[in-house]
Amino acid sequence: MSRKVRIAQLSCGPEYSGVQKEIYDAAEAVGAEVFFPDIALADVERAVEKFGLDVRSADLKLMIARGMALVDGKVDADGVFIGTCFRCAEAAIVRNELRRYIPEHSRLPVVSYSFTERTTSGTLLTRMEALTTIARRRALLAREEQTGVTMGVDSGSSTTKAVVMKDNKIVGTGWHPTTEVIKSAESAVADALEMAGLTRDDIQAIGTTGYGRFLIGKHLGADLVQEELTVNSKGAVYLAGHQRGAATVIDIGGMDNKAISVIDGIPGTFTMGGICAGASGRFLEMTAKRLGVDITELGPLAMKGMGKNVPMNSYCIVFGTQSLVNALAAGSSREDVAAAACHSVAEQVFEQQLQEVDIKEPVIMVGGTSLIEGLVYAMGQLLQTNVVVPPYSQYIGAVGSALLASGFVKGE
Amino acid sequence: MAKVFIYPATSLILSDLVARFGHKPLGAALGIRERIQTAGVDSPPLQITPEEPKRGLRYAAVEVPAGVRGRMAIYGPLIEEAEAAVIVTDADLAFGCMGCARTDELILFSLRQSGIPILELKYPTNDEEGVEFVAAIKKFLAGLDDGGEA
Amino acid sequence: MAAYTPGYAGTVTKYVFVESPAMTPGELALRAYEVSEGVLIKETCFGLQVTGQPEAVDRLIAEIRTFDPTHIFVKDRGFPPGDPRRCRANLGGARPGYLGHEREFRILRYITRGLEEVERRGEEAEVPEPASVREKRPVLDIKRLQELIETEES
Repeated sequence: MSRKVRIAQLSCGPEYSGVQKEIYDAAEAVGAEVFFPDIALADVERAVEKFGLDVRSADLKLMIARGMALVDGKVDADGVFIGTCFRCAEAAIVRNELRRYIPEHSRLPVVSYSFTERTTSGTLLTRMEALTTIARRRALLAREEQTGVTMGVDSGSSTTKAVVMKDNKIVGTGWHPTTEVIKSAESAVADALEMAGLTRDDIQAIGTTGYGRFLIGKHLGADLVQEELTVNSKGAVYLAGHQRGAATVIDIGGMDNKAISVIDGIPGTFTMGGICAGASGRFLEMTAKRLGVDITELGPLAMKGMGKNVPMNSYCIVFGTQSLVNALAAGSSREDVAAAACHSVAEQVFEQQLQEVDIKEPVIMVGGTSLIEGLVYAMGQLLQTNVVVPPYSQYIGAVGSALLASGFVKGE
Repeated sequence: MAKVFIYPATSLILSDLVARFGHKPLGAALGIRERIQTAGVDSPPLQITPEEPKRGLRYAAVEVPAGVRGRMAIYGPLIEEAEAAVIVTDADLAFGCMGCARTDELILFSLRQSGIPILELKYPTNDEEGVEFVAAIKKFLAGLDDGGEA
Repeated sequence: MAAYTPGYAGTVTKYVFVESPAMTPGELALRAYEVSEGVLIKETCFGLQVTGQPEAVDRLIAEIRTFDPTHIFVKDRGFPPGDPRRCRANLGGARPGYLGHEREFRILRYITRGLEEVERRGEEAEVPEPASVREKRPVLDIKRLQELIETEES
């Protein structure tokens, strides 16, 4: 194995919340090691004054000073993990400002997280994996063109997607609801190969991503098993034809949401949220069910409605759905209810996640929910921009995987 | 000998002076030592497990950040045990165990609420203040002995 | 979840800091070893760490303090010496507590001065009380402010 990726930890509180071990474990699981940038007291005093954020907590001052030592190149690191206590306003301000400051002044990838005593290494794993990938595989991530015949499989929490690519073109796609992880993948792969008119033997390299990536990767003998943050970023800018410069990728998934600030196809900062079903594709699925329409019809329906006409008292998947049902009973139109549901999800993602990344245009929406045009519209309204939905956006992880896997095609 | 809570709880100076003048300083080290020397679930570096913030609910409500509650799980019992306190109010650069301003505010509040004798002062910035600082602490601690304890 | 088995159970560890023109940490260590009687002594850049049974450590500390009473300072430590969880080499940098010590090192000389003077002046000497930390500074009298403004304008 190559040398360990060194992740600088800037934090306040994890040792006292009982979660420092979880951070260590997550880092170790992806071949990284966490360290604390070494500085002296005088550095802290100088840095806090220079940074100009007068916080009271000494450990937050230490965070600022350590962040500045990284930016100034006084301490070497491959990536930065910023963690503070959930519900601490003072820490949230420091966390946000450092998350912005570090990528603006250095090439260091940053991930930030606010933890509780319930945070586990599993929660942190994907984030740590993305950090190490960016640090370790810069060369691989620089790939802008797919070559040879490759396949990407995205084993997501709701659906499993497969894509076959040949000479920089998508030649086959497959899509199945995730029931049994391997079976669903097999079905998606079979469909994609059939559509491409190819067999497994024709495939020169395979990449997997999503929740089931390890299992599927092993089963298929994948060359590349990669978390969805880097893969989706790559896939999004590739499909949107925007591989150079800044972009923002939003993926509202079945189980968690990703907001990624991308520069030249490589994630700079990103957030993953996953504790509230009300901010996920599941909420829209439930709404569609209530309205008696297929999920594919929800978007067009929403486009005809006005979300403002429906009072929504909660973002919660339970109480929010109740609001929608009440609205229907009180005579609201199905169109308005559909629009309100889309707005609710978009607004929650906007409030809770998009504040954590710097939104740079173009904003690219990907994943299955990007096909719900009412949701894309609502997001565009909130962000005051035209949101880009590239072709094959629902296959984003599979496309990203197939693209990156071509780095493993023999002769490359 | 009285048990004297020191603030900052990580202070070398206060720990030294309280012990030097014949009393027992109660500081962060005692709480950490207790955890480091108790068998249980491995939770480096401080052996503070996720159970500690839950224990901290005794001192701060659930909406208070985990780091505050975890720290209070260390300090709460020490504050309850304390018979007096010496507080330095301008300890703005005490890190780690004292590194969270919200916890520090809660510690000070708890001490002031407890009704125990408290001496509050600032760090000395010159020789004369140094003399005043040491004399005040010595006098305060001597007064605790007058309270009847041997 | 891995089980944790503590080392050094039942012991106490104390830091001994020496900030003296007359004694280096090395010299302090040499003299401390002579009277250690089985207490574990570890020399550090600032002084010592001593570890052992509480009574034995107390006895040694009392002895060590006599070497240079106003320049030697002692503090409890939660960890035993050389613990990998707190070691700079493993953490990549100093543990946060180290910076807190740095803060207090800067004023140790005032404490030394205080200890010397309080000793010299004796028990009965009156030393002024330190300024109250809770008292607010009085605001400028409004009439005085008006006078100042008028002086400036004229």
